[in-house]
Amino acid sequence: MSDSLNRLHPLSAVTYALQHGFVWLWIPVTLLLVLAGVFDPIRAGWIPFVAPIGFLAGVAYGVAYYYRFGYAVTPDTVDVSSGVVARRSREIPYRRIQNVDIKQGVIQRVLGLAVVSIETAGGGDSEATLNFVGEAEATRLQREIRRRTADSRDRQRSRDEQTAESEATTDASELADTGPSGESPSTPVRTPDAESSSPSAGPEPSEPGEPSDTGTNEFSEQRRHPLFALQSRELLLYSFTSVRAAAVAGVMFVFFLATDSIFDYLLTVAEPVGGPADLGSGTVGSYGVLTLVSLLNAIGVTYLLSVAYTFGTYYDFQLGRVGEDFVYERGLLQRYSGSIPSEKVQSVTITDNPLQRLIGYAGLWVETAGYGPDSNGGSQSAVPLARRERVHTFTENLTGVETPTFQRPPPLARRRYLARYSLLAGLIVLVAFGITQVTIFDRWYLAAVVFLAVPPAAHLRYVHLGYYVGDDHIVIRRGFWKRQTTVIPYYRIQTVSTRRSVFQRRLGLASLVIDTASSRTMTRSAPRIYDIELADARETHQTSRERLQTALRERAAADDPGVSVDFT
Amino acid sequence: MESLHTRIRLLWIAEVTIGAVVLGIALAAVDSLLTSVPVAAQAGVVVAGIVLGSAYAVRRYQVWQFDLQPDALYLERGVVTFVETAVPFVRVQHVDTQFGPIERILGLSSVVVYTAGTRNADVRIPGLTPDRARELQDTLRDLAVESEADDAV
Repeated sequence: MSDSLNRLHPLSAVTYALQHGFVWLWIPVTLLLVLAGVFDPIRAGWIPFVAPIGFLAGVAYGVAYYYRFGYAVTPDTVDVSSGVVARRSREIPYRRIQNVDIKQGVIQRVLGLAVVSIETAGGGDSEATLNFVGEAEATRLQREIRRRTADSRDRQRSRDEQTAESEATTDASELADTGPSGESPSTPVRTPDAESSSPSAGPEPSEPGEPSDTGTNEFSEQRRHPLFALQSRELLLYSFTSVRAAAVAGVMFVFFLATDSIFDYLLTVAEPVGGPADLGSGTVGSYGVLTLVSLLNAIGVTYLLSVAYTFGTYYDFQLGRVGEDFVYERGLLQRYSGSIPSEKVQSVTITDNPLQRLIGYAGLWVETAGYGPDSNGGSQSAVPLARRERVHTFTENLTGVETPTFQRPPPLARRRYLARYSLLAGLIVLVAFGITQVTIFDRWYLAAVVFLAVPPAAHLRYVHLGYYVGDDHIVIRRGFWKRQTTVIPYYRIQTVSTRRSVFQRRLGLASLVIDTASSRTMTRSAPRIYDIELADARETHQTSRERLQTALRERAAADDPGVSVDFT
Repeated sequence: MESLHTRIRLLWIAEVTIGAVVLGIALAAVDSLLTSVPVAAQAGVVVAGIVLGSAYAVRRYQVWQFDLQPDALYLERGVVTFVETAVPFVRVQHVDTQFGPIERILGLSSVVVYTAGTRNADVRIPGLTPDRARELQDTLRDLAVESEADDAV
């Protein structure tokens, strides 16, 4: 077995050696320093002698690690064995594999290397990571594993159908014996579905030939059909119209690194327009100018960084399909390539912000359960940005949803937001008052201008709310800054909740939470229909529950994958 | 609709009392270490905490209800925000029974129903007798298996 294992790219031996060398260097050094403090004859001056020993040991370990690491793609599993002293061999069956992703950083791209990671459902970590293989080998692995995964899925499916058929006959006879209480542990409810599906499967010529089945699959699975490619115009528009929170973190980081020179710069820029000569001396007015100038600078720099980040991340974005999976590629410096199995798609969301709405563009995201290669809460960009009409067509093709006619919450809801935002504005004024008590600023009542923003804010929040209860889907729209229109097929519903806070109860309103299996992070929550009338909420609640049941029955009968892969 | 066992009120009141006492100890620590807090204020905070918490516990008990409907487990709960949740049997991943130390003393048990949804979608039914909890667990498990669709996440 062990001779059939493949090795990683030879350059990974070098990186492992260096990595471990530099880490291990510190072991004897720390030990020496500790011992030197305790025992007299040991001196800290020995560091130049012991450090190389640690380094060499680390290098040796790194090289050994490289030689002891092996992987193989066998007919049933992907095998990975690793470990110098304690060995670990892992066999990952194909049917458990969800994804094979390739990641390439800048240096790796120059050297022609790539990181391949194999993901399974559940668990936050990759099941196996091949830290570095050659580019060609990475692509070969990805294609090979994906093909075999698809094959095993197909085999599983046809096996299911066969067992379902035989089960159906045995169950029927058992049921006749034991009556409807059904003591057998197998699933009696599935019986009628299996029976109704078998006649449709019958006339198909696919019945006998499993080898020929996989043969045709091999042919079709290998080919990659392009679905969408981000044009340079769209990429630029996307970069300039989207704002990333990560950019704020980047700016903060730079600020901490070079606080002094940044202050110098801000003072120099602010001085001509009335800023203080230095931080120590200044008037209320000049500090105000400085604050304003700094704020404008911060916003400008953050925006530019955000543009650059988006550009780098979504450069040359391509979406395609291989068999039943969506595959995508993107990135300028760091290249990502991953896949989204279409059967794992839980819901689809159209996003747009005010700028994008102004120019008539929108983006399309798909939510999957639990999995995300760049941990975006299981949400993947399928189409970063395209004309609104195109995105709507894509969504309709992808999910089969009809064009929604949105219902709005009653105007009472707007009053609620008015009250809420007024409270918020009051709080801001209060904080401003607090600030004037401890600083040299004194005109706290100027902060009252925020009240001007309250009515438009409440109105904007209100007009962007909407929901549509369709035949097979429920569509929920909400948000002004980042408007999200989520399409949830009924068969993906996990739980339905009607929520009423104290305030909502007074107004006779309720919010409806439709939970799907999409994994969420702290910033995202389950799609929610806000502040509709209680009767409507109850009705939608009931409808969703009923349609979930019907949809599940229909799907079991029709063996419907739910989303159609060719959506562009 | 089924209500919780009446003893759940004792459990919740006990929890609130423990919380209030801990708060009282913290206040006493502040008093002796940082600034002086009047004894009356300390006692007042603890008593108010216990009284309000107990009223909340009683109301919470009155509101809490659940029901096994044909297709789903249905729950109603919440004092400040009233929540009606339906957990379709087909979505039940697994069902646990649990009890903590105070629950054990009071002879109570909880059933926790897990779905594949967000973290908050794990539903807990507290305040059941151990027998009822086990029975409910079995029923839910059977219903989940029975309605199981060939539709994994």
